[in-house]
Amino acid sequence: MKLILGLLAFSALAIASEADVVARPYDLWDLMYKIWLVISVIIYAVVAIPSLYFMIKYRFKPGEREVGDQEHEGHWGLEALWTIVPLIIVLYLATHGFAIFTQMRKPPENAMELKVTAFAWGWIFQYPNGKMVIAQAIKDTEDKKCKPEECYSIDGVFQNYVYIPAGVPIKAVLTSQDVIHSFYVQAAGVTQDMVPGRTTYTWFQINKPGEYWVFCREYCGQWHARMFAKLKVVPKEEFEKWLRGEVASLENAQLAKNKAQEVAR
Amino acid sequence: MREALPAHKPWFAASLWEWIFTTDHKKIGIMYGVTSTVFFIVAGLMALGMRLELFSPGADYIKPETYNWFLTVHGAVILLWWAIGIWAAFANFLIPLMIGARDVAFPRLNALGYWMFFAASVIALLTFIPGNQIMTMWTGYPPLASTEGIGFAGQTALFVFIWHLTGFASIAGAVNFITTVISMRQPGLGFFNLNLFIHGIMAANVIQLLGVPSVAGAVTMLFLDTYLNTSFFDPARGGDPILYQNLFWFYSHPAVYVMVLPAFGVISEVVSALARKPIFGYRSMVVAIWAIALVGFLVWTHHMFVSGIPDWVKILMSYTTLLIAVPTGIKIFNWVATLYKAAIQYKTPMLYALGAILMFLIGGLTGIPLGIPAFDIAVHDSYFVVGHFHYVLGMAVTLSAFAGFFYWWPKITGKMYSEGLGKLSFWIVMIGSNLLYFAQLIIGIWGMPRRYYDYPPIESWVTLHQIQTYGAFILAFGILLAIVALIKGALSGEKAPNNPWQSNSLEWQLPSPPPPHNFDEPPKVDKDFCPHGYCKF
Repeated sequence: MKLILGLLAFSALAIASEADVVARPYDLWDLMYKIWLVISVIIYAVVAIPSLYFMIKYRFKPGEREVGDQEHEGHWGLEALWTIVPLIIVLYLATHGFAIFTQMRKPPENAMELKVTAFAWGWIFQYPNGKMVIAQAIKDTEDKKCKPEECYSIDGVFQNYVYIPAGVPIKAVLTSQDVIHSFYVQAAGVTQDMVPGRTTYTWFQINKPGEYWVFCREYCGQWHARMFAKLKVVPKEEFEKWLRGEVASLENAQLAKNKAQEVAR
Repeated sequence: MREALPAHKPWFAASLWEWIFTTDHKKIGIMYGVTSTVFFIVAGLMALGMRLELFSPGADYIKPETYNWFLTVHGAVILLWWAIGIWAAFANFLIPLMIGARDVAFPRLNALGYWMFFAASVIALLTFIPGNQIMTMWTGYPPLASTEGIGFAGQTALFVFIWHLTGFASIAGAVNFITTVISMRQPGLGFFNLNLFIHGIMAANVIQLLGVPSVAGAVTMLFLDTYLNTSFFDPARGGDPILYQNLFWFYSHPAVYVMVLPAFGVISEVVSALARKPIFGYRSMVVAIWAIALVGFLVWTHHMFVSGIPDWVKILMSYTTLLIAVPTGIKIFNWVATLYKAAIQYKTPMLYALGAILMFLIGGLTGIPLGIPAFDIAVHDSYFVVGHFHYVLGMAVTLSAFAGFFYWWPKITGKMYSEGLGKLSFWIVMIGSNLLYFAQLIIGIWGMPRRYYDYPPIESWVTLHQIQTYGAFILAFGILLAIVALIKGALSGEKAPNNPWQSNSLEWQLPSPPPPHNFDEPPKVDKDFCPHGYCKF
């Protein structure tokens, strides 16, 4: 009981520091992570320390300790103890996880909707005003392999920055055009599969301007590993300006349009 | 029809003809063991190939198709041949000996099961022919696996037949083992004085019997979708790819208990025998095994937490998943309590078994957050998952399999293994696998997705991938040493006594190796017979 109260106090402390949250719902995940980490380390110590102690103390010694104590075959009290205490711990973890998960899954009402369609291998991002951006995997060909620093770079044609306003919650509405893909925003700690014939969603909010990774996490064939996008998080005014402007490269606009037409078919 | 050949010669004197047509459970067990171990080595070498490719970012040695084929075969082979198949080897050899029977209930069905397993092995080898590769991953999710042209999934048919044939072998084995244990025990052996290994095998085989039809149905539908143009999983024509995931994981989650429950059994046998003390809380151990097998069927959607299923299902299965930790915890605490006031002999099998316990605890503790959707959402399909199941399968199951090899080696071969090499191999395996798998846990927390042939050159990721590759090679060296310790023992080891561990269990009351018909006369079993280790002997 003391442990649970302590952990609740600990989680209250963790929530209090919301001012410097870089991304949501990563802050909630981080809380869950810390709770789990503390409990796990304690459990590991509780099991491993006595084990190592027994392993060293109760070694076989010829003439002195040749047979173990035959009377210790079980103890109902102890066995009940290590049934009930773990039961309480997992019920607490599942319930706290439940509470956090409910918060995590609920997109704020002012969220901006971003439609994302996956294909093998890339994503089309569509903004509320219809503007489209494409992020397509950089593949190797028989005669040309990309260098490690090029394989995950932004070249303006196949790969474009996905502009995201800082501090604004984004609801990503996800679907796929061919096989199952996935949408993982690293900084926000959210993963959601993109299933053909279904619409799924996730939401995130990044407060600090900068560049952030998006990866595909569901195996989708040959170039699964290169299926990435880069979010460029910029202040809100700059985002508005970008949103009204033309797409930087005409090839990109054409590629995105072609892909979107394929999706419509 | 041909009469089954009587097993008139011990296994080491048998001709090739007798091996092929044998119905002797000991020979079939050894054949399972050899096939499993050979495939374990093949899958391990493929893992080394992948680790070399991932040593640095960029396309280095192999093409993505090759990498994906390595990964698919590594996954399928390690799970179906090693983690499941190796227990068929132990179960075949040991069950009749442990219950005082002369053979299994259906010797010919048993032989058929092995040869189906062998046929699956041939199909797995067929994927080595260029153009035959399977690149579906061991899960074979549609629409990737069922659509030609997109994504390069390879020969889905071979993937499906591997599942069918190993599934047939599993069901044949399950029917056989369950019947054997129920109907052929010596009088006096009841539910609460069977070996814990037998309880582990029984629970695992009940899971096989109930679960395999589900996955067999799923892959059959996948086959029909791919080649006969049906639309079970095609959303454009009213199908649903999530249906496959449900059917697949309904078996494939409980399947991890098929892999780990017999491992628990081996740990219990070895720990009690070499701590020279009865196992602590025998009854709660038995109840825990069966509880895990039962609840194991109610948790499968935790593999699908991000696949688009309703949130309430996630919460429900989150509770059931975490409940599994309770019986598992009981087992771990009981093993620790067994060490209290024991007289621990640090022979090689004991080292492997104790290592398996402490490593399984890490596997279990890292499994708990994956059952909590609020945690899983950030690490689903990341290296954290890879690290978690390698702590369970690559460490707990593999270390217990090697504990089992060393422990029963005197009984199987009649020779002692090489003790010095065995102990050395344990420490090298521990160092290598912890470097490898702990690095996977950390890089997973940082976000590295799994099944990646290439990765962005983020500095900390590169470092951790290099640590993994070093760990993998150290681990491979350790496994090599362990195999050398066993083979060297079989070839030139000293002759093994009948009961080197002074165990009470029935298999140790026989000569080493056991004669063809096991027991000349049925062994006498008292009502208070205690199969575990050192008690009242």
